[in-house]
Amino acid sequence: MSEQRAQTSIPATRPVERRRGWWGWFDPRGRRLGGWAFALNRLTGLGLVAYLYLHLGILSLLARGPDAWDTFVDIALNPLVLALDVVLIFGMLFHGLNGLRVGLVGYGLVASRQAALFVGLMVIGAIVLVVATLRVFA
Amino acid sequence: MSVQPRPEERSGGGSVGFLGQVVSGAALLVLLTLHMIAQHFVVPEGLRDYADVIDWLRSPVVVVLELAFLAFVTWHALLGLRAIIFDYGFSASTERWITRVLVVIGLATVVYGTVLLYAVVAAA
Repeated sequence: MSEQRAQTSIPATRPVERRRGWWGWFDPRGRRLGGWAFALNRLTGLGLVAYLYLHLGILSLLARGPDAWDTFVDIALNPLVLALDVVLIFGMLFHGLNGLRVGLVGYGLVASRQAALFVGLMVIGAIVLVVATLRVFA
Repeated sequence: MSVQPRPEERSGGGSVGFLGQVVSGAALLVLLTLHMIAQHFVVPEGLRDYADVIDWLRSPVVVVLELAFLAFVTWHALLGLRAIIFDYGFSASTERWITRVLVVIGLATVVYGTVLLYAVVAAA
């Protein structure tokens, strides 16, 4: 199966990743910008999956009534929690915008300009992150 | 033995899994943006208090959008998780079991979220 997978695999970083498990995502050997984007896309994806279930758990407080929810809202306005919100927004922006690039390139759109597309989307993401951070701490 | 290359590596975009990720991802770009703006960025303190949440959920459009958001985000999250797990090279039968487990988790997630939303809406 590994050989068959290798025949359909493209990135040169893939064998290193397979040898080293998920730590291989961050192995700098032979890794280009796309490789780092791939690694960060997966890391943010895993973080967002974890957050999805944390979020559902937190929303269950709504079913317990106003006291439970409003107590949580007070906690959520703590600056430390707000800082974690900024990390969350970064994860959503990176994963969403890089995913947009992967989708476009995967269907052959702007494949020849994907590095420029990546940089452009990351600049947009950085601007939105700054605005969102200012809004979070306003 | 079936071979499931990483969706991201399918340059032709022919993978059903990759198509599912692209479609759900595109939907999430819209739904998550709406969710973040409506639930956080236009709210004075960034989070609605209980009374405000109940009032917000009185709109059927909001309920439908939140349910669509839940379904798409669950699909996208678990399909992505499946792709990561499959990269570590399991047998075809193990991959089928992993898929079944993830389908059950996904259905349970959507059912739980829907029941929770119904409970909150019922309180409205």
